[in-house]
Amino acid sequence: MDIKTHISVKDLNVWYGEQKVLNHIDIDIPDKKITAILGPSGCGKTTLLKCLNRLIELQDGIKVSGQVLVDGENILDPNVEVTHLRKKLGLLLQRPQVLPMSIYDNVAYGPRIHGIKNKKALDEIVEKYLKQANLWTEVKGRLNSSASRLSIGQQQRLCLARTLAIEPEVILGDETTSALDPVSAQQIEQRFLELKNQYTIVLVTHNLRQAKRLADYVVFLYLGDLIEHGPATEFFKNPKYFKTQAYIEGRFIEDFKVDQELILNDTKNPDESFLKVKSVLKNFQVNQILRLVVSDEKVLQRISQGVETQGGSVLEVKRFGPSEWELFVQKQNVSYAI
Amino acid sequence: MFKNQRHFKDLLARQGMLFLCLIFLSLTLVIIIGLYKRSEPVLAISSLKDLLFSSAWKPTQEKFGLAGFLTGTLWVTSIAMLIAVPLSILTAIYLSEYAPRCLRDWVKPLIDLLAGISPVIYGVWGTIAVVPLVRDYVMPFMSERFPFFPFASDNYTGYSALTAGIVLAVMTFPIIISIVEEVLRTVSFELRESSLALGATKWQTIKKVVLKKARPGVIAAVILGLSRAFGETIAVLMVAGCSLGVSLKSIFDPAYPLPALIANTYGEMMSIPLYDSAILLAAFVLLMVTVFFNIVGWGILFRLERNLVQ
Amino acid sequence: MGNFVSAGKEFGSMNRHTLEENIFKGLMIFSMMIVLGSLSLILLTIFMKGLPAISLKMLLQTPQGGYYIGKEGGILNAIVGSLVLAGAATLLAFVISLPIALYLNLYLKKNSKFAYSIRFLFDVLYGIPAIVYGAFGFSVMVFFHLRASLLAGILTIALLIIPIMARSMDEVLKMIPFELKEASVAIGATRWETATKVILKQALPGITTAILIAFGRGIGDAAAVLFTTGFTDSLPTSLFQPVATLPLAIFFQLATPFPDVQARGYASAFVLTVLILFISLISRILSSRFTRNIVK
Repeated sequence: MDIKTHISVKDLNVWYGEQKVLNHIDIDIPDKKITAILGPSGCGKTTLLKCLNRLIELQDGIKVSGQVLVDGENILDPNVEVTHLRKKLGLLLQRPQVLPMSIYDNVAYGPRIHGIKNKKALDEIVEKYLKQANLWTEVKGRLNSSASRLSIGQQQRLCLARTLAIEPEVILGDETTSALDPVSAQQIEQRFLELKNQYTIVLVTHNLRQAKRLADYVVFLYLGDLIEHGPATEFFKNPKYFKTQAYIEGRFIEDFKVDQELILNDTKNPDESFLKVKSVLKNFQVNQILRLVVSDEKVLQRISQGVETQGGSVLEVKRFGPSEWELFVQKQNVSYAI
Repeated sequence: MFKNQRHFKDLLARQGMLFLCLIFLSLTLVIIIGLYKRSEPVLAISSLKDLLFSSAWKPTQEKFGLAGFLTGTLWVTSIAMLIAVPLSILTAIYLSEYAPRCLRDWVKPLIDLLAGISPVIYGVWGTIAVVPLVRDYVMPFMSERFPFFPFASDNYTGYSALTAGIVLAVMTFPIIISIVEEVLRTVSFELRESSLALGATKWQTIKKVVLKKARPGVIAAVILGLSRAFGETIAVLMVAGCSLGVSLKSIFDPAYPLPALIANTYGEMMSIPLYDSAILLAAFVLLMVTVFFNIVGWGILFRLERNLVQ
Repeated sequence: MGNFVSAGKEFGSMNRHTLEENIFKGLMIFSMMIVLGSLSLILLTIFMKGLPAISLKMLLQTPQGGYYIGKEGGILNAIVGSLVLAGAATLLAFVISLPIALYLNLYLKKNSKFAYSIRFLFDVLYGIPAIVYGAFGFSVMVFFHLRASLLAGILTIALLIIPIMARSMDEVLKMIPFELKEASVAIGATRWETATKVILKQALPGITTAILIAFGRGIGDAAAVLFTTGFTDSLPTSLFQPVATLPLAIFFQLATPFPDVQARGYASAFVLTVLILFISLISRILSSRFTRNIVK
């Protein structure tokens, strides 16, 4: 299966004042698929989403490092024309924010900002996207009435139409159905499923079931760390890491109680490093946890693959430096031979 | 028994407070009715129309035309609003949308300070600083360059409608600025985010979304500022000129606003028959006009607040 | 590729917008400068004209005969008179405003029609000019054949500042999170007890500010006292005698044709300004002091 990447996040770090809210995030968001960003509240999901269209910089005290590549171009570069970027990536917020104007003007707002003045063209745009958001039939007779009179479900669909009207390539959604009643929520979810053939969609949600329904690709964040990411089917059926499993099953996620640490910063030799790990594991009892720090990707790979054969399992892999990784390995069974 | 005691206190407090509220409600009515009753004598001899639209003010002849004073008020208030409204709104927008935090933290208390300064002090300042300014610089300059309405005048004293308008404008700054700034602050962050997320610039967002949403509040702020300017007495009294029988044809002519009339005639009020009644009628008119403005202004703000809660 | 970077440079309309924004930004800063400049100008003129003319003698003496045409004396009568008048009026206003504000916030439902009407009423009262209060006070006095007196002044000023105080206090109490009230009532306290033991502590900074603001307004007003307190050269001795006030003292001194009396007027203006600045300062300090202890 050939998965084309639309947005590539490379070593993204975000600080909010003194506090670090996102640590070394590396993800590739696939083109024309629905990607869900999952995780409990306050773990950095919205921050990550808002980095993609640089809306995060509106808040005071935000510092960002790393790269976000959209179609290969780093959009965090200060020379980038931000308004142009935001035309390419549309954002839908949790609470529907209707602009203080008529329904027509709400949808036409984006196109007008970007230069379209012709009334006929605007009429067509308004109709087309209201239809795409499945709102046209309900409002076509009152396009000039104030948008604030709509029900909350209708308002969210209006916001969707408004976002679609700027003809983006990517649609970002931040808990877009959390504030809606079940019927309206379902309508919005339907729209996303229909739209994914034309747009790349990235949805932040804390609703596991919604993610299961909609997502093709899943990214799991916990406390600012990227724990796991992958195709949805694999993610939900065979989660690789401990915290992911805990989250999916609804268990409390606790920090690991580390029994021993092994810092392998200086070795670039995969086999040598692995031998060291092996000897530690041999002397471990079952369920004891080893924390490893490595600074080479090959070493990382060798160790991850190798411990399985030694009766260990990798609980978590976390990147915490430009080239530093943290591994948590737990001994599960008595090890096999050499 | 203990329970009863505490509840008794509670009940007593509650009834007491309700009583106070009701007293105030009735007090407002008492003020309105009281002033009206005291104006009745003069209303008995001249019709309201005559009183409001005639400019013949000859108390000894029982002629009490208030038109001249109403015109004076109108001139002074209009000048004040023309100056104050744009400056205040622009300042408020800057403070709320563009100014860095530390600047705002300094400037806002200073503007509140402006609001706390006594009207007499404004009058003193007007006499010391504004009157000479108008007399020595503004008036000669304008009269020469623009010898036509509304600038041509033969009043060279510096005590004029413009002077009063300037002083009044400064007095009105704090009210309009604080209300507009507050109204702008209530426009939610998410709304601005939505506009920016569609690719609008900050200025476009302010122009097309924030100001639109805040428009009723801005109008209310202007109305309330207007009401304040209308009723200000002592500062205006000290710098407007207050000459009887002069017709207002220029911003440099002396003006005699209604509140100043009321204040000035305090001493003589009781000596001429019906004089006091006429003056109290003037007070009544002033009351009704300001009450009207306030009802409209606060009405808008209240409706806004209610919509927010929903 | 540089899609986003180059796009910015080619768009002419984008530049037009930036130009517009910069023009308005300039206008805004200019406006703010004017507003702040006026404030500084006012304070500067008062200080410059008033400070030279002031003397300790002036502050501590009452006017001797002929003070207003240049003879000996001071403005002690006005200073004391104003402080007593404003102080008593503020106290009276406080006793009335606080219960009303408490009632509005604790006993009435937030959106009840009655609360709405009372708040609206107070806002309208807030906008009534001082001279109207003065004229009304005067009518009442005439009706009861009373003469100008300290008491009349106190009542009129109290009437003037009650809407201000009640409104400020109401704003402060409104901001207290509902949960705080809930929590107190939930453990069985009556609403009166909630009010005194919990809410007031939390609202203390705001209430102090409200009192001080009202006091500042009361002491600075001339229009309402013009009709009701009269004027006198002596210190306040009785509630039923006229009393001198600083604003009127300033006004009368400035109205004379004698330059040295006018200079004294400026000095009096200086005293009043310093008084008001002092009150503002105190209210800010107290407010930030108290804010340390409250629940956020």
